[in-house]
This record gives sequence, C-alpha cells and structure tokens, in this order.
Amino acid sequence: MDIGEFKALNYLCSELEPAGSMTDKILDHNQPDKTLTPLYAERVRNPLKRIWGYLQNIKRHTYLLNQLIVVDITSSFKRSFIGLSWLIITPIISVFAWVLLQGAGIIDPGDTNIPYPAYVLLSTSIWSFFQGSYLVTSNVIINGGRFMVAAKFPHEVLIAQQMVVHCINFVIPFIINIIVLLFYGIKFSSIAFLFPVTLIPLLLLGTGLGLLVALLRVVAVDFSRIADQCIMFLMFLTPIIYAPRIQLNWLANIVKYNPLTYLVGFSRDVLTHGNFYELNLYLIFSLISFVFFIISVWIFMKFESKLLERLINV
Amino acid sequence: MFNTSTMPDQNIILSVKNVYKKFTKDIRHNMYYGMKDMLIDPIPNYMTLRKKEFWAVNDVSFDLREGEILGIVGANGSGKTSLMRLIAGIYPLEKGLILGRKSQKITSVFALKAGMQPLFTGRENIHIKGAIFGMTKSEIEAKMSFIEDFSELGDKLDMPFGNYSSGMSARLAYSVAIANDPDVFIVDEALAVGDSVFKTKCFEHLKYFVKQPGKGVLFVSNNIRKHLKVSSRVLVMGEGKIIYESTDHVREALEFYVKNCLRNIDPEKQASMLETVNYYDL
Repeated sequence: MDIGEFKALNYLCSELEPAGSMTDKILDHNQPDKTLTPLYAERVRNPLKRIWGYLQNIKRHTYLLNQLIVVDITSSFKRSFIGLSWLIITPIISVFAWVLLQGAGIIDPGDTNIPYPAYVLLSTSIWSFFQGSYLVTSNVIINGGRFMVAAKFPHEVLIAQQMVVHCINFVIPFIINIIVLLFYGIKFSSIAFLFPVTLIPLLLLGTGLGLLVALLRVVAVDFSRIADQCIMFLMFLTPIIYAPRIQLNWLANIVKYNPLTYLVGFSRDVLTHGNFYELNLYLIFSLISFVFFIISVWIFMKFESKLLERLINV
Repeated sequence: MFNTSTMPDQNIILSVKNVYKKFTKDIRHNMYYGMKDMLIDPIPNYMTLRKKEFWAVNDVSFDLREGEILGIVGANGSGKTSLMRLIAGIYPLEKGLILGRKSQKITSVFALKAGMQPLFTGRENIHIKGAIFGMTKSEIEAKMSFIEDFSELGDKLDMPFGNYSSGMSARLAYSVAIANDPDVFIVDEALAVGDSVFKTKCFEHLKYFVKQPGKGVLFVSNNIRKHLKVSSRVLVMGEGKIIYESTDHVREALEFYVKNCLRNIDPEKQASMLETVNYYDL
C-alpha cells in the first residue's frame, strides 16, 4: 500500500464517488491458482497427529505466544507502583504466616525431618505449582473468550501461554523460598538440580485437569465449582502442611493412595534430602499424568471451539 | 454500480454454500445442550432444532467476487455477525461449506476493542493485535510506519489504549487489520464510529483495496448512506436468511431492508415511519 497515494487524496473536500465500475478495477485474470477449496476442512482424526499439529501451530505463532505471555505477566502489575516486587512480597507473607502458626502451637505437623517452616514453605510451593497450573488452564476459555472471538488463531497457543506464565510465576517466589531454606540450614544435595524436571508431572496433571474443567466452566458451572473445591480440599489430603507419616488411620490410607503424595513428596525429597522418595510409584504416576495430559488436550481441542459459541458476553 | 449478473466471468474468491448456525435462546438450555453434545451425543443431528434453539444463520449461500465490496445489511439480530464469524473461521462450521482460494488470508474487524489490552499503549497493542492476526514481529515492525501514518494517532499511540475514544480505537484496529494485507477483508460495523475524515479515508481505502488482484470486502453495516457510496452489491439478511440479494440496484435492496425492519410495526404507522427513516437514512 502506497502511503503517498493516500496523502494525495483530498479526503475532506472530495465527495465520495459511487462504488467503482468494473472498468476501473485492476483485475489479474492470470492468477495461477483460482480453484476454490474448503476453507475449514475436517481436522485430522489421528489424536497423535493432531497433537503434533498443535505443536507446529504453537511454533508458527511464537510471536503471538510471546505477546500473550508479556500481557499476562505485566498487566497485573501495570497499575502498581511497586510492580513486580509483589512476586517477592507475597511468598514472604506466606512464610511469616506459617512460622507464626507453628510458633503458637496451632499446628502439629509430625516428624518432618527439616524445620517445619522450611518444610511447609517448600511443600506449599510445590502444591501451589500444581494447583496454579489447574487454576490458570481451567479459566482459559472464560478468560480468553474475548481473544478467541476477535480473530481466528490457534487456541493451543493460549494453553502454551498459560503453562509458560505459570512456570515464570512459580520461579521468582521459589528463589525466595530457596533463600529461606538456606536460612533454616537446609543443605541441598547434588541431585537437587533435578528438581525442575521432577515438577513436570505435576504441571501435566494440573494442566490436564484444568483443561477438562475449562470445558465445564462454559456448560456446567456447578461441576466446575465442585472441581475447584475438590482441588482445594485435596491439599489437606496430601502431605503438604503435615508429614507423610501420620497417626490417623483413615487419613493415612487416603494419603497412601493419593498420587499427589508421591508426585509432591518426590520433588520435595529430591531438593531437601537428595533421595528418590518412592521412585517406582513416582514414575508410574508420572506416566499416568503424561497420558492424562495428552488425552485432556485432545478432548479440550475437540470441544473448545464448539463451546466458544456458547459463551455469553464475549 | 455494477451488475454482478452481467459479470459471469468475474472471479469468485469466496463462496458460501448452504451454511447454517444455530444458537440457544436460554442460558440454562444453552449450557445443557453444550454438555449433552459434548458428553452424550458428540455428533448431534444439526438440522433438528431443539427446544429454545433458533437459526442464527439459516441456509445462507452467496459468492464474493474479486474486486467487489459486498454490503451486508439486516435488522439487529439478523445473523450478520454470526455469519461473518463463520466465514472468519471463529465459529466452527457445522453444516454447509465455505470455499476460498488456497492460502487465502481472511482478516476481520469485529468489536474494535476485542483483543486489545486497556493497560497497554496503542503501540504495544499494535504488536498484540498484529500477532493475533498472525503477523510476525518483523512483519509488524515493517508495517509500523504505515500503521502510524494511516491511523494518524501521532503521540497518542503512546497513551494507554483504555483511554482511547471509540474513534481512536477504530483508527488503530482498522489500521492494524489492513496492515495485515488480507485477501478477504471483513469489516463488521468497525466504521460506525470515528470522525468523518477518518471514515472517508477508510472508505477510499476500501475502494483502492479491492482494485488489487484477488481482493474482496465483506462490508457489514446498517448505515444505508455508506452502502450507497461504497457497496458494489448488497445482501439483506433477516432472521438468519438472505432475504434479498441485489444485482444492479443497491438502492432497491436498501429500501427493501428498511421496509423489512418496519414489518412488525402497526401498518397504519408504517408509512409515516418509513418516511421518517428515509428522511434520516436514505
């Protein structure tokens, strides 16, 4: 488009002409491919090929992904004078609260091997990583609806954005937590560097659950609220604020069969003790988490566009 | 105005064939059907209307030809935006066919603020909106001076988008959309706001745009005067259907549209109302 042409136009004074006649239209009848094909053809049926296609789409839309990540991270701090400092303040307040509760004798955590505030700080960080991945992805349609109806773009980019933003939001407060752990005299082992990798199954499980609940948030709000409450309650059925070795029989049984006990415990022990807590169970539940994530993405992508038209007020 | 019926050889760049889309009137039924279709009956008989459902788009077929600005008018709720969202690929196509050329780029401008971030500056929003349209960083940067020139927003581009007036939003949204260089450009009520100078500039641009090879415009507006000046042909929509398709007389189609809008008014009042509408709109 030539800007000069526009500048040459006298927009104010010239009266609009009737729509152009065909004689003044420049039509190229020698265009090579003028065959019409269906624009929105049936998608690939093979689930694995579909997943591969989603990854390719994300790669093709890297700039959109970057933009959405920047918007997500910075928009909540745009109107704050202290901005990103909130990423540091929030975990410090959280640590302070747990130390206070333990100091007052309100919480009896059991035998935790490491100082209780350090234990609970680390455990809640790992738990919030899981819970956060669930929360952000479960709101992907509701929060992203306005984006989704603005233009056609691959919605898998939104899932990738939520996962990346969630990981970034986790890293900064986690560095604070590491400092606090050092303060409590925790010595990190040589295998502590595996810690980020051990979190992947939690991310996949949380995201997988979130994607299924994202569909329910559009058409079954009651179920999505029940799911939210269940996730919150699940924290108390996982050794997060208490040790895995507990006295109550019924709770001990729930903890024993709760996959999160192993997914959270494994990550925690890798960092603090340098050992592999229930390695076999961790690997089994990791594999299940991966398969569950793939199935959830497939189900989500299959139905999300159909549910998009059922969104109200977008 | 040109008569499409006399131009059989003119190239079709978009063909919409027997397209349907249904919605639900009631929130609870909307949720129930969404759940049912997802869990129990993933491939429902789309052509059967269930309780509280209605056709937002009902057996719509038309062609958009190269070099054409196809106007679309219709009373509020007649299915114009739903049809455009189907064509843009935003809503899934359940029944019917939309044909286009290979690698054809369809860009749509619907709600002006959709996808824009109120706390980010206009300049930042150019990158965000451009990325949503599928542009890369280098493409956006290459078009930045064009967007700055076309939008004429000057240093207001560094203001938060949330402080923009409707007209300023229109300038930015429209400029980014055309910078994307679409083949089929959907303008859905996007030029209803904005000052006269900018709107005139946009209409001149649309005329210039369709002179390029392989380009066409779907211009959705209920502004009759604008259709008279810009549209090559007009479709009138009513209750999800195309109820009038102009060939060579855009004005007749628009008169039909006005009369159709008045169809539910008391016949005694219709004549005087029609006169009043004609006074303001035609």
